[in-house]
Amino acid sequence: MPAVQETIDQVRSIDVDQYKYGFETMIETDKAPKGLSEDIIRFISAKKDEPEWMLEWRLAAYERWLTMEEPDWARVEYPKIDFNDIYYYAAPKGTSGPKTIDEVDPELLATYEKLGIPLREQEILAGVQQSKIAVDAVFDSVSVVTTFKKELAAAGVIFMSISEAIREYPELVKKYLGSVVPQSDNYYATLNSAVFTDGSFVFVPKGVRCPMELSTYFRINEKNTGQFERTLIIAEEGAYVSYLEGCTAPQRDENQLHAAVVELVALDDAEIKYSTVQNWFPGDKEGKGGIYNFVTKRGDCRGDRSKISWTQVETGSAITWKYPSCILRGDESQGEFYSIAVSNGYQQIDSGTKMIHLGKNTSSRIISKGISAGNSNNTYRGQVSAHRKAANARNFTQCDSLLIGDRCGAHTVPYIEAKNASAQFEHEATTSKISEDQLFYCLARGIPEEEAIALIVNGFVKDVIQQLPMEFAVEAQKLIGISLEGSVG
Amino acid sequence: MNMQAKIQRTPAEQGLMDAFDALVSELPGDSAVTARRDRLMADFGDKGLPSRRIEAWHYTDLRTLLRAVPDHLPGETADEIDPVLAGSHVLPLIGGRYVEPREIEGLKVASFRDALSGGTATESLAPLREDDVIGRLNGAFVMDGYTLTLAAGSAPEKIMELQSVQNGGQAHGRFRLEAEAGSRATFLERHAGGEASGLTSSVSEIDLAEGVELVWIIVQERGLEDTHLAQLRAKLAADAKLTVYVINMGGKLVRQEVDVMVEGEGAHFDLRSINLLAGQSHTDLTLTLGHVVPNTTSEEIVRNVVLDRARGAFQGQIRVAREAQKTDAQMSCNSLLLSDDGEFDAKPELEIFADDVVCAHGATVDDLDPVHLFYLAARGVPEKIARALLIKGFVEELLDELDDEALSDALRERVENWLDAHV
Repeated sequence: MPAVQETIDQVRSIDVDQYKYGFETMIETDKAPKGLSEDIIRFISAKKDEPEWMLEWRLAAYERWLTMEEPDWARVEYPKIDFNDIYYYAAPKGTSGPKTIDEVDPELLATYEKLGIPLREQEILAGVQQSKIAVDAVFDSVSVVTTFKKELAAAGVIFMSISEAIREYPELVKKYLGSVVPQSDNYYATLNSAVFTDGSFVFVPKGVRCPMELSTYFRINEKNTGQFERTLIIAEEGAYVSYLEGCTAPQRDENQLHAAVVELVALDDAEIKYSTVQNWFPGDKEGKGGIYNFVTKRGDCRGDRSKISWTQVETGSAITWKYPSCILRGDESQGEFYSIAVSNGYQQIDSGTKMIHLGKNTSSRIISKGISAGNSNNTYRGQVSAHRKAANARNFTQCDSLLIGDRCGAHTVPYIEAKNASAQFEHEATTSKISEDQLFYCLARGIPEEEAIALIVNGFVKDVIQQLPMEFAVEAQKLIGISLEGSVG
Repeated sequence: MNMQAKIQRTPAEQGLMDAFDALVSELPGDSAVTARRDRLMADFGDKGLPSRRIEAWHYTDLRTLLRAVPDHLPGETADEIDPVLAGSHVLPLIGGRYVEPREIEGLKVASFRDALSGGTATESLAPLREDDVIGRLNGAFVMDGYTLTLAAGSAPEKIMELQSVQNGGQAHGRFRLEAEAGSRATFLERHAGGEASGLTSSVSEIDLAEGVELVWIIVQERGLEDTHLAQLRAKLAADAKLTVYVINMGGKLVRQEVDVMVEGEGAHFDLRSINLLAGQSHTDLTLTLGHVVPNTTSEEIVRNVVLDRARGAFQGQIRVAREAQKTDAQMSCNSLLLSDDGEFDAKPELEIFADDVVCAHGATVDDLDPVHLFYLAARGVPEKIARALLIKGFVEELLDELDDEALSDALRERVENWLDAHV
């Protein structure tokens, strides 16, 4: 298996420093003053040249947020966040919005190149990559460039930053924004509704199969800056789209906040596949620094026979609080959640999913693999519920945890709620350590312990990796190798 | 939040506070016990009944579900009833009161009232945790119960049936058992009710010394209008083996907690539970199980049958401490949800800090398997009977594991009676 070999090579090639995306780009930025107030929200809205209704929407969210309390039910611990000590807006100077590639600061292009994300279309075409991927690159608070827009437009697909969409397609945005994750949904989603700065907007019209993979690459660069992106993806009747999301941040001593909202809407017979490789800076070996990743992701299978599939590889962030969910509203709709969550060092992960069965004959599938190493804690928290009218709801859940070392923790907290006699729910969970027999087998054949572990872990997560688009699968396997490095002995 | 809770006290909360005020002078206990009771009630006044926001009460929002509390005095005195298995030693607690000491070989019997006055019960009145409302209320209100000591090496042949019979009103009882090293016995903790609406709380504390083998069976058959809040606390020393059965087939609002600490190496804990829910019953079984030393094992199997408008919940939390290497813990919860108006919620939880362990849980919710029904239909079994057969098989399987065949048969009969009456 070449991919496994690749992981081993990756582990071998890494030095002491485990996080290779920890560099900082020296670039001048426009920043709003620190802190959160109505004025800041007005500033952001003005900076983005937004219509009045958008500003009002934001202000309503802010007003609501002021009355809310920070949730404390997740199994994560962190000092209280001072929401007034954060920059809510930071943009590379001279970029008020996406432009043509030639106008983008070369420093920025270099950054993305360093991250392995080419933004020049001709380079992508000339490059070794086998398939085309359209990329929306979000740097701190703004989208700097979106590639392949023309080609996509020819197919009828709208792919642009959400700020642009608010200006160019206000009716579409107005119709769908907040329809899956309402302004008042939860503390961080409400905060996001008030201050979101950018993100991607995807609209795939009726019957169109999006001709290429769409991708957004999020990068937090600026110090003390929070990133609040908002992504909205709509697949009309019979449409199909596959969307990839990646994220990194520089290595810093202080914690940074990332509170995103992702909304997916699938109408009749539509399918959305959403894949994430989350590799925010996880903090250093002593647990200093790192991103607080407090994200609300939800998909609404609004139409009959629609399907939403979430695949995530979580290796970064100091704290992850994230539950990509599916509301199975349409009859015969399907939801899927495939997850690999790897925690090492002092990382804390509380992640899982929700499958809310509302329509008839709906089905969902959850495969979650948690790997804890070092001093980390890794929690799967998931809810499966069948409404009274959700006849024949069907769910299968499997969540397995693997512990590496004796200072970490692995936890499983499923909520299984059936209000319908024809519902059929199955849930299984196991926790174990790497089998000594398997390890011994590898060692006896001369494979060093760390490589052997990477090999076994890759086998453990195979079910999920298989769900990732090809380009991501390779990267994900590399990442798992990196995250586990140093976890033995 | 606390401020709000204070201002908006529910009628049930107020009723409990009033009941305490009315009863306090009659409650037994020395000064330390009295002070402890006051403190527990003051805490209750602050915290009130738990809502679903309290994680341990997620599926049983007591604040909403417990609308009112009956009069603080036990209702008309009920009589001792026939034991589940004829010939058992019966230790009755009638209307919350200890009846009379009985001679049972190998078992020392005393009233819990004496322990309250004699200064040996104060510590145990503390709640297990912040959110332990049952421990808090029972600690404040407990009137009587049994203090039992099973002598080292003894093995009474007959079953000891602890009988709490209550018709209306309130009663708060407690059973304490200390099983000394190497002893073996079977206890049956039975809660029966009448037609009047009652509120009962019950806490059982059992302590298993080294090598003890104990079977503890809880049969809950409270009346259809009863609220029953119960807790079993168990501690297992090295090589001890505890098998707990929880059979719920009564009550309107029932919460049975099982809190087990496996504290000695080589110890093993088993839980088997059958929850039969019909009518408007709300029944919650909540297990918290701690493995804190190396080389211990546990297995839990919970089977639920939900009919009519009943609602059931199972929460099972297994915690494996950092030191508890080589733990093997297996939990499963299977539910037959047979009505579209019913509901079953399960939350099987694993909290694991040791790496060399094997822990697993499984949970299923389903209707009867149409393939099984077809099999029986094809052999000429009418659907009604086929369904009944399958349901019986589903739950009675657990009773087959009991070594005592006579007891297993007696329990099976009760379960079948319930199923015949309700399915």
